[in-house]
Amino acid sequence: MAALEALLDPTGSENGAQDSTLSPRPASLRGLTVGLLDNTKPNATLLLEEIGRELAERYGIAATRLYTKDYFGTPVKPELLEQIVDEVDVVVTAVGDCGSCSAATVADGILFERRGIPAAAITSDSFLPSGRAMAKVQGFPGFDFTAVQHPMASLDAAEVRERALAVLPEIVRILGVES
Amino acid sequence: MGADIATVPEVDESRLREVLEYYWAKDWTDGLPVVPVTASYLEEFLATVARDPEEVLFTIHHLNRSLTVRLAAINAALAGCKPEYFPVVVAAWEAIAKEPHPARGIWQSTTGTAPFLVVNGPIRERLGINSQGNIFGAGFRANATIGRAIRLGCINVFGLQAHKLDQATQGTPAKYSAVIGENEEQSPWPPLHTEYGFDAADDVVTAYVIRSVVHIEARHAMTPQQLALDLADTIRRTGSLIHEYTSALLVLVPEHAALFAEAGWSKDDLREFVFRHATRRREELEAVGKDAVSHKTRWRLPKDHPDSMPDSASSSADPATVHVLSHPTSVQIVVAGANNAGVSAVVEVFTLNPPRPLPFSYSRIQASA
Repeated sequence: MAALEALLDPTGSENGAQDSTLSPRPASLRGLTVGLLDNTKPNATLLLEEIGRELAERYGIAATRLYTKDYFGTPVKPELLEQIVDEVDVVVTAVGDCGSCSAATVADGILFERRGIPAAAITSDSFLPSGRAMAKVQGFPGFDFTAVQHPMASLDAAEVRERALAVLPEIVRILGVES
Repeated sequence: MGADIATVPEVDESRLREVLEYYWAKDWTDGLPVVPVTASYLEEFLATVARDPEEVLFTIHHLNRSLTVRLAAINAALAGCKPEYFPVVVAAWEAIAKEPHPARGIWQSTTGTAPFLVVNGPIRERLGINSQGNIFGAGFRANATIGRAIRLGCINVFGLQAHKLDQATQGTPAKYSAVIGENEEQSPWPPLHTEYGFDAADDVVTAYVIRSVVHIEARHAMTPQQLALDLADTIRRTGSLIHEYTSALLVLVPEHAALFAEAGWSKDDLREFVFRHATRRREELEAVGKDAVSHKTRWRLPKDHPDSMPDSASSSADPATVHVLSHPTSVQIVVAGANNAGVSAVVEVFTLNPPRPLPFSYSRIQASA
């Protein structure tokens, strides 16, 4: 009888380093500068602007700064990441309403947390599994992000505003502030 | 290992199934059974190429994953490849690595694209890569398993599992396997790989990232113009338009290629003709809500969408005519299929913004000496 041999693992993914530490949370959003990271998906700008307006009215943030990714399907480039980390106190990033961009939005959230910036990443609810899978790949299983109701791309301005209002409590919760 | 078909093997059925079930339980398959792989079997694959097993063939940085020669070999063996197919698999991964979309997350996308490989050169004959009847169908081990080796690598190494990181809304049957040989022997034109400067005797893999394979029924076309217009009509179909522009690989059967060649058309003549005729009237795009583009992603959408802006054609000399191809070379041409009917195909090639002039990448197949 031939010698017995073990079956080989075809994945090559030995357990990578895990780091699931969140950045320190602010006591309140009052007076903070909020970075809005637009991934360029249709209606993302509008959604983030509505969220920024509500954060100003209800939570007294000092300012928002809108940033734009050059491509929605991959995480934010290092230069833009550095710039945002330097310029704002917390970040809201949207909108992960597709396969690659849902994962990239969650990866962005994790990148900011690891640089000490609290981040609320927003996907659409069809893509929660993709976001969770990405968090695992990034060594941050269970990373907390939120979702707006799918779809986003086909909404008119009034509907985008409804989505913003609906997701606001979740954003505030993730940023660690009492509603 | 050659199979002895004179004797019917006797097997330990429950042990065999136990092994196959192990792979299913680990999610290390595309849903079909795989071939068990051990270190000694892996060695047979690695021996076919002059490569360091730890050499990285393809990395998707944002997924923190890299595919090495060793992992490519394990997955090729799992897929049912013979060891001698492995040089083709290595070249296929190299070609895929040169494509811009796979490294940028396209295989996580709802779009649901698949790798599509064309093999040229004498190796088709040596390995039995089908280039004639039923090229997109089942029945040929080399075609079936070389493509599957790529799929299993995507699933296992890059974690592109359906419902998780792979969020394809519907996907395509090509995601199981999509490999064809060019029917060089029955083509009136020089083989595809000679267009990029290779010798006809070289073995080359060309990789595309595709959406659909759409058939063209044209059994009775009498002039090259008729057939070329039929091809152009499929390329410009509104349903496939996602971005401003698209690209296509025409997979022509020998009979169709002959219709062009006998009328004196070169591949470039055909490209040029299709390019000129692959247009839509603006009102046709308006009717289907694709007459404008989004500001940043430049996806086609209706002009009353909140994110809309005019497309490029709107500021051209003829705003009522919208070209769906950006370059004549957006049309690629290969000859494959049986020489038995006028049934060709348009393979719709995924096209980002801005579009590339040449919508494919290629790599030479190199076996160990």
